[in-house]
Amino acid sequence: MRSLTTIADLTNDEIEEIFSLADAAAKLRADRPAQGSIMATLFYEPSTRTRLSFESAMQRLGGTVISCSDMRASSAAKGESLADTARVVSAYADVLVVRHNWDGAVQAMAQHADVPVINAGDGGHEHPTQTLCDLYTLRQEKGHLKGLTVVLCGDLKNGRTIHSLVFALARFGANVVTLAANGMELPQYVIDRLERDYDYALAPVAAGDLSAVVSETDALYLTPKQPHQLALFTQVDQVIQARLNTMTAGLRYDAFYMTRKQKERMKGGAANGSYPTIGPDFLREQRFQDTLVMHPLPRVDELSPELDKDRRGIYFKQAAYGVPVRMALLKFLFDRRPGEAAVGQQALRSYQSPEALGPQCRNANCVTAKEPISAPQKFALFTVGEIGTLILACSYCDHRFKVEYIGHVPSKRYCAYDHALGATVGAWLQSGDLAIFDSIKEAEELGYEPFSAGPQRELMDENEIRSAITEISRQILRDCRDPDRLLLLGVRSVGTQLAQRMAAEIEAMLQRKVELGEIEIYGSGDELKRLMPSDPDLGPLILKDREIILIDDVIHTGRTVKSALSIIFRSGRPQSVRLAVLVDRGHREVPVKPNYIGKSIPSSAKDRVRVKLRGLDREERDQAIIYTIVNPARDAQSLSGKEKT
Amino acid sequence: MAEERTVLLGPDEVGRTIKRMAHEVLERSASPNDLVLIGIRSRGVHLARRLARRIRESADIDVPVGVVDVTPYRDDRTEARQAAPVGAFETPVAVDEKMIVLIDDVIFRGRTIRAALEAVEGLGRPKRILVAALIDRGARELPIRADIIGRNIDAGDDQRVNVSLQEADGLDQVTVADWPSRHRS
Repeated sequence: MRSLTTIADLTNDEIEEIFSLADAAAKLRADRPAQGSIMATLFYEPSTRTRLSFESAMQRLGGTVISCSDMRASSAAKGESLADTARVVSAYADVLVVRHNWDGAVQAMAQHADVPVINAGDGGHEHPTQTLCDLYTLRQEKGHLKGLTVVLCGDLKNGRTIHSLVFALARFGANVVTLAANGMELPQYVIDRLERDYDYALAPVAAGDLSAVVSETDALYLTPKQPHQLALFTQVDQVIQARLNTMTAGLRYDAFYMTRKQKERMKGGAANGSYPTIGPDFLREQRFQDTLVMHPLPRVDELSPELDKDRRGIYFKQAAYGVPVRMALLKFLFDRRPGEAAVGQQALRSYQSPEALGPQCRNANCVTAKEPISAPQKFALFTVGEIGTLILACSYCDHRFKVEYIGHVPSKRYCAYDHALGATVGAWLQSGDLAIFDSIKEAEELGYEPFSAGPQRELMDENEIRSAITEISRQILRDCRDPDRLLLLGVRSVGTQLAQRMAAEIEAMLQRKVELGEIEIYGSGDELKRLMPSDPDLGPLILKDREIILIDDVIHTGRTVKSALSIIFRSGRPQSVRLAVLVDRGHREVPVKPNYIGKSIPSSAKDRVRVKLRGLDREERDQAIIYTIVNPARDAQSLSGKEKT
Repeated sequence: MAEERTVLLGPDEVGRTIKRMAHEVLERSASPNDLVLIGIRSRGVHLARRLARRIRESADIDVPVGVVDVTPYRDDRTEARQAAPVGAFETPVAVDEKMIVLIDDVIFRGRTIRAALEAVEGLGRPKRILVAALIDRGARELPIRADIIGRNIDAGDDQRVNVSLQEADGLDQVTVADWPSRHRS
C-alpha cells in the first residue's frame, strides 16, 4: 500500500511514470480502472480546485466519491482524533484524500489508515499533488525539466506548494531563483534539506554590488554543486527588484512561479507592502518573451489581469492539468496496492524516545503539538556539516533542530552532545539505549546524572539553605500586598520542594494557610496543579488577579522561567508574578530577573549547579553544589566503553 | 486643572542617549552579524530604526529591523487568549540562533515585553534576547528586566511618562506629568 504524503515518496522514475499516464488521460477515462472503488475526501480546510479536481479525476476513472461537506462540522468538531478518523474512514473508502491545517497531519493519518492516503496540503508543510501538476505543466510547455530556470516569487515561507516544488525542481535538475517577499524567505529546514539531500550548496554572497542592491539585509546564493547554477536571493524589496533584474539579466528565465500571500498561515500579518507582483511592464520586456507565468491559484493581486490574455500566462492551463495528473496519480497508487512500500524515501535512522520525556518538535503548528495522541513524537536522526552536528527532523512536519543533550538509558547518565560522540550515539541508537533531552533539567527530572563530573564544590550547606529560605519567605511577605491573593508556585520538582518549605515559613509568620501550586515545564498534560490545600472539590487553580511567587532552585539561561510565564499567562492574568530562586548562576539568554535570590554565584558555561534537598532522590541533607560537567571530547573514550553501572 | 509637565530629557539628550544605547547594543553582541533589532509598535519601532542607523554609522553593519505589534498577545485583552494571535509581526525577521534586541520606548510593568517574548518565540528560537528601553520606570509586575536602559526614572503610579520622537511627534523629548487621579494604565 502506497500513500503520498510528501513529494519525496515518489522517485523521479515514478513521477515520469505518472506523467506518461497523464499524457494518456483519454485512455484512462475510457478504461475506467477505478470502477467500483470509492475515494473519501476529508478537507479540514477550504479548497476549490484541489478538491474538485480530485473528485473529477476519480469519477472520470470510473470510481465514486464520498465526502463531508465540511470536516470542521463533522465528528472532528466533537473531538475525534485524526487517528480514529483515519481508521474509521478506511473502512468506507479505498483511498483517502486529506487536507489539514496542521503540519504533518496527513502523515499522522497515513500511519493509522488501512488504505492509501494522499496529502492535499498539510498546514505550511507540503502539497505534493500541486507539485505534480506544476512539474507536468512545465514539462508540457517546455518539453523537459532539466536545466530550466524557474523563478519562485513571493511568499516562500508559508507557501506549502513552494516547499514541495523546490525539492522536486532540484531533483529534476532545474535551476531555481527565489525572489522572496520581505520576511517570507524559504524556511531554514527547506534549505538544509536542499543541501543535504539534493546537493545544493548555500553560501553567502560576498559581491559588493549585491550587498549594495539588497538593502538592510542578507542575500543568499544557492547553487547546486553540479551541474547547474542556481541563485537564491532573499528579502528583496520592491524598490530594488528592478536593479536585481538587471543584474541577473544574463540568466534566461523559463518560468515565473508566483504565489499568493498566505495570510491565514502567517503569525505575522501583512508584510510591509513590498510583495512582488507581475504587471504589464513584465510583458513588454524582450528577455521575458518566452517566460511562462505560473500560479497555484487562488491569486490575490500579484498578477495583472492583462496577463490572462497573454500566451505566457498559463495558470489556468496549470489548473486544468490538475485532473489528468490526479487521474494518473490515483491509477498509479491503485496499481501498487497491496504491500508495497515507498522507495523514494531515503532510509534514515529513526528515533523515538525510550523515556517518558523526550525531545519535542519545536514547530508550534506540528501535529505532534496539536494532537499528540495521533502523532507520538518521532524523528529522523542524522548528522550534518563538517563538525557533525546531530540533527533531529520531525517525521511529520520535517522541522529540524540540534540535539543538545544525550543520555544512556541503562546507566541513567547524560552529557552534552559533542561530535566526538558520533560513534557512541550510533551504538546506543542501535541498542535502543539512546535518550535525547532538550535540556539538562529534563534529564534530571528523569533521574539522570551527569556522565562524569569534575570535583564538586559546595556552594551552600544545610544552614545557609535554611536561612536563605527563611529570608526569602520574609521578603515575600514584606512585598505582599494582599495575603488572600498570594499563590506560591513551585517549578517541578526541586522548585516545588522549596515552595513547600517557604509556604511553611510564611504560614508560621502569618498564622494562616497560603495556597501552593506546582508548574510543570517539561510534562505533557497538566501543567498547573494545586498542592495545598489538597481538597479536590476546589476545582482548578485560579491565577486571575493573583500575586504569584514563582519558585525555582537555580536560574541560569532563564528559559525555564520564560516557559513558566507562558504557561501562567495562558491560564489567566495574574496581578503580578515575582520570581524567587535559591541560586542565581548568571548566563541569562532571555530577559528575566529574579526578585528574590538566596545566593548569586559566578559560574562558567560548563559548570552545573544543582540543589539537592532532603527527601528528594534519597538525599540525606540539603546542599547546593557546583561541578563541571563532562567534557565529551576528552571523555569520549570512557563513554563508548562499557560504562554500565 | 492645568497639567504639570516636567521635561526629563530634551532633544539633545534623547539623541545622545540613543547613541549611547547603540554602542551598548554593539558591546553586548559577541558577533554583530547575528544582531537583529525588533521594535515594539509604535515608538519602539522608531527607536529601533534609529539604533540601526547609529549602528550602521559606527560599525558599518546593516542590522535587520523587525516590527512587532503585541496587541494580540496582551494579557489585558480577554479576547487575546481565545483567538490565535494574528498580525503580531508586521515585519517578520529570521530569529533562529540570532541575538535579538527587543526595543520599546518605556518599560514599566513588564507586560508588553512578556507579550513580545511570546511573539518572538512564535518565529523561532533565538540564541539570546535582550531588552532595550529609552526609559525604565521600574515598578515591574513581572520578573522581566531591561538590559540596556537610556534613563532610569522613579515615577509614581499617578504619573505619566511621555516619550515624543521626531518621527511620530516632530520633537525628541521625554516628559513626566501627573496622571489626573485615574487608576494606573
